[in-house]
Amino acid sequence: MELLPQYLANGLVTGSFYALSALGLTLILGLMRVVNFAHGELYMLGGVMGWWATTRLGLDFFTGLLLVAVVMGAFGWLIDRLLIERIRDQGEEPGILLTIGLSIFLANTALLAVGTAPLKVEAPLSAGPLIFGPVVLTKLRVFAVVVCAALILAAWLVIHKTRLGRAMRSTFQDPMAAQLVGVRTANVYAATFAMGTVIASMAGMLLGSIYTAQVSIGGLVSMKAFVVVILGGMGSFAGAIAGGLLLGIVEALWGGYVATGWVDIIGFALVILTLLFRPYGLFSKRAERA
Amino acid sequence: MTFERRILLALMALAAVLPLFVRDQYVLHIAIMVLFFAVLASSLNLVVGYVGEFSLGHTAFLGTGAYTAAILATQHGWPLWATIPMAGLLAALVGVVIGALTLRLQGPFFVIVTLSFAEVLRLIADNWIGLTNGPMGIAGVPQPEWLAQASNLAAKQFYYGIAWVLLALTLYLSYRFVYSNAGRAAVAVRENRYVAQSIGIRPLNYTMLALVLGALLSGMAGGFYAHYISFVGPEVFRFAFMVSMIIMVLIGGKGTLVGPLIGALLVTFLEEYLREAKELRLSIFGLAVIAIVLFLPRGLMGFITQRREARGEALPATGNASAAPTTQRSPA
Repeated sequence: MELLPQYLANGLVTGSFYALSALGLTLILGLMRVVNFAHGELYMLGGVMGWWATTRLGLDFFTGLLLVAVVMGAFGWLIDRLLIERIRDQGEEPGILLTIGLSIFLANTALLAVGTAPLKVEAPLSAGPLIFGPVVLTKLRVFAVVVCAALILAAWLVIHKTRLGRAMRSTFQDPMAAQLVGVRTANVYAATFAMGTVIASMAGMLLGSIYTAQVSIGGLVSMKAFVVVILGGMGSFAGAIAGGLLLGIVEALWGGYVATGWVDIIGFALVILTLLFRPYGLFSKRAERA
Repeated sequence: MTFERRILLALMALAAVLPLFVRDQYVLHIAIMVLFFAVLASSLNLVVGYVGEFSLGHTAFLGTGAYTAAILATQHGWPLWATIPMAGLLAALVGVVIGALTLRLQGPFFVIVTLSFAEVLRLIADNWIGLTNGPMGIAGVPQPEWLAQASNLAAKQFYYGIAWVLLALTLYLSYRFVYSNAGRAAVAVRENRYVAQSIGIRPLNYTMLALVLGALLSGMAGGFYAHYISFVGPEVFRFAFMVSMIIMVLIGGKGTLVGPLIGALLVTFLEEYLREAKELRLSIFGLAVIAIVLFLPRGLMGFITQRREARGEALPATGNASAAPTTQRSPA
């Protein structure tokens, strides 16, 4: 039992990473209704580009992060304007197939470019431990949690406090009405997809400095992100955070007390149970089902 | 209806005479894989095309069937003619359970929960070492005894025969389902759930029937796969299998019976042909998928029916065109 605080702390740390990795997906899935199977690959690209920027270009971590955000933002914008725009309003099937095709393409092209070896993103801090009573965490992880929180807060502010955010919310309530009052909805869709891409790629780079950035990680990241989004309810910010933390803690406790081999099954079991008993997510208040 | 039936019969007749002319083992192997994938794609098409819900968990049934056949054959010494039907039955049972839990959901929820089921089964296959031998998989699934003495070519021909029978059974059952009242009810649910309910169709009954039928067929395909490849590992539950199946159904045209056959043929050949391109293969494959979604949204068969419909309008009073089911979904 004396390990419980440590497990909880580990769970909270992993959980905040899950929340950040899922945030981009919750925007794209919850608001745009695109079941984005390329989410994990966008995350992976962020990590690979972060590695490239910090080790090959010799940039420091934060300049690299900025570079990744700008490049991936433009990339996301282009994906939406060139591909997703053409299948808007056709139900979710073309979107699923399109993003599956995109994920196969991105994963294998990245594989050709950088190979299978794990890539280490240069971290901004040394890996020394921090001791809080019974709990030991590395400095780097605490730092990453802080950055996660900052990014999540920034995304929230963009959506709730800016003109672009207002345009986004109006477009996803009623695209026709938004268009009538002068919102350029095509740009809003593209901006939303770009924002989801930016968040995913920044998560990829940040976590690439703690674990490693790997080309083959995409599928796993997509799966975990889907789990978090379903747990929290689609399109819900608080839901994504709560879902991420919940998944992190449950996995840490299960891994600590039951069996490490079965950890990955928890997420899916939780998803199945959630969809059966609370299909709108644990924390969503919306009573409408897609 | 007759148009579709004629094409199906012609294709199956062509497939039946193929081994008389082909003596090359490699070509025969490709042909067997085409038949195997045609069974899988047709069974997935029952769910995707006729129920109209996008299932990403079809590998659950394939994998259940493959493991059932492998375990029965290696540990209990069952012969091939018993393991394959048993694999189908067990997969159908899994289909009943999964269907009862998931068919109440729609849209993205259905997609993700079916995917979760396949992942759960994959993790079980990976971790329940006592039953499934974990990541090492089950090797050496026994072949029928007389095949041990026969030549490699005879063995391939034997498996080709079984695959052909499986596909014939699949097409027969699908045809009977699609052109029965149950099939028409399922299509009504696909086109508009509320209208279907208002005329007394219970959506769950028909979607369930289609799902369980699909599960039965893909379970049998899984049993066949276990014997033919003689190895089953957790990768039968992998997403890669699912991706191949979906692409086949959609290239060919979902909601048509011929479409999945064409899709299986094209994709299997494309995958083999692109082997030449080695590492670039999957990148090209990904681009091909994107191109199909953008430029051929109703699949090849959808394209052909559209052409026929257009011609039917130009020349009035042709009955065939109206019988082809449309694949467009009503706006939700």
